[in-house]
Amino acid sequence: MSDETDGGYEFGNGVPIEPIEAGSTVLVAGPALSRAEDLVRSMVADGTETGDGMLFVSTNQSCEKLLDSCRRLQPSFDTDRAGVIDCTGQDLAESQFDLRVRSISTQSDLTGIGMRFSALYESLYADAVDGRVRTGLVSLSSLSMYVDMRALFRFVQTLSGRIDSADGLGLFSIDPTTHDTKTVNTISQVADGRIEVREPESSDADGEVRVRGLRDQPDGWQPFTLP
Amino acid sequence: MPSHRILCVDPDEDAREDTVEQLRTELTEFDPVFETAATLDDAKAVVSTDLAAVVTEYDLADGTGLELVTAVRDTAPDAGCILYTDAAPDAIGTDELRGTITEYVGKGSVFGTERLARLLQTTVEGKAQASYPLPQNERERLAALQSYDLDDRALLDSLDRITDLAATHFSVDRASINIISEHSQDFLACYGGANEWDTMDRQDSICTFTIVEDDDVLAVEDVTEDPRFESRSDTLLDMGIRAYLGANLVTRSGLVIGPLCVYDDEPRSFSAADEAYLRDLAAVAMDVIELHARLDDGVETDGGDL
Repeated sequence: MSDETDGGYEFGNGVPIEPIEAGSTVLVAGPALSRAEDLVRSMVADGTETGDGMLFVSTNQSCEKLLDSCRRLQPSFDTDRAGVIDCTGQDLAESQFDLRVRSISTQSDLTGIGMRFSALYESLYADAVDGRVRTGLVSLSSLSMYVDMRALFRFVQTLSGRIDSADGLGLFSIDPTTHDTKTVNTISQVADGRIEVREPESSDADGEVRVRGLRDQPDGWQPFTLP
Repeated sequence: MPSHRILCVDPDEDAREDTVEQLRTELTEFDPVFETAATLDDAKAVVSTDLAAVVTEYDLADGTGLELVTAVRDTAPDAGCILYTDAAPDAIGTDELRGTITEYVGKGSVFGTERLARLLQTTVEGKAQASYPLPQNERERLAALQSYDLDDRALLDSLDRITDLAATHFSVDRASINIISEHSQDFLACYGGANEWDTMDRQDSICTFTIVEDDDVLAVEDVTEDPRFESRSDTLLDMGIRAYLGANLVTRSGLVIGPLCVYDDEPRSFSAADEAYLRDLAAVAMDVIELHARLDDGVETDGGDL
């Protein structure tokens, strides 16, 4: 972790990414086996350490599973500072009624997801230290199966605008192997940078990352480990 | 830059006026021009292409804020839409509006209009609800576009000849030089069937994607197979556009004002040589525009000396 954060968002020791500037939206691109999605959950859950709000838009893990993942990735994970928009279509478990959780019946309802995102964001913003909120959207690839690319672009750009206006951090996962390159490149234009994720070359690491388009980041592929 | 037209809609007159007053105070440097309406019908009546944003209550006497958002998307597709409402998100039915994106700010927000104002400014300045990417230097690009006199008949005749050359080289029935304005695509010079085309919304044009290409060329082999255009492919096919090649007109300052394009009504691939040829022709077109601009400056200077 860097000592000179300049107000950027910091991450745990196993993730070789320097603090990311407030107001940024970053695409986290990796194939299914690369643990890109876990990396997003981990980088958001790391907000526990700094009192940040943590907001998830989850398309492929129910709220219950997502919170289990976060507790595994960040043992001190603070559910009081977390919000979840559960887009899996599953009914919420009773144990989650006290949390900031909203469910959406279908991923094609971008209007509903967007409005709930906005409302939860405001709520977390109010309680977070310095109004800092980390958003993890897992995943864009799943949403893209329900809506056309232009609707998805407008949705992502709108979320990115809110994150920018509130000095937040957005981490949106995408599996580039399931999309036309044109789709990934177009969606990338909304983001301030991209974190590419691949499987590790050595068995000591959980994967490797390479950062593109963000300032003051390490060059080349770097191994990362997750708890 | 022009001021920003903001429409505030609320059935409660006191709340409406209060929102406008608060936003005016928060956004003094943003230069907003506020208009207000109490009903859905009154609001729809003032929506036009140049609307920058609408801030609306959800419950209106003759409809809902989401109906207004849908109407705004039809007429002013780039406008930002914000529901500023007492209604909770869970109480708002959205199943029928799946692609209609809107921001939401609860009137009960502890931050009051401060957050609404900042969100409104970010949304308008970054065109955060547009369905297409913006060039990083959009503001400078639009200023450069406005600096040219593009109505000069002699200039347009010269540009027409360039579209003729492009159409002949690629053996196509349609070619054009297009400029990408803030909200629309306009046809500056046309060959063949392109003469029948009218100004179109920027979000519906292929060229708005060409102007953000790093290498200043965009080739689309088949619009029905391209994820960026497939949802609009029926309209494009009606225009006789199945395949597309566009090369940007880039000013000496590196700003793109629009592309030179050729269109085929059958799927088609384009070679690197094709791309290089069109890029060269686009550079000639830009040279012609800049030479005319310098000529105009010279005439004005000479006139001033008389």
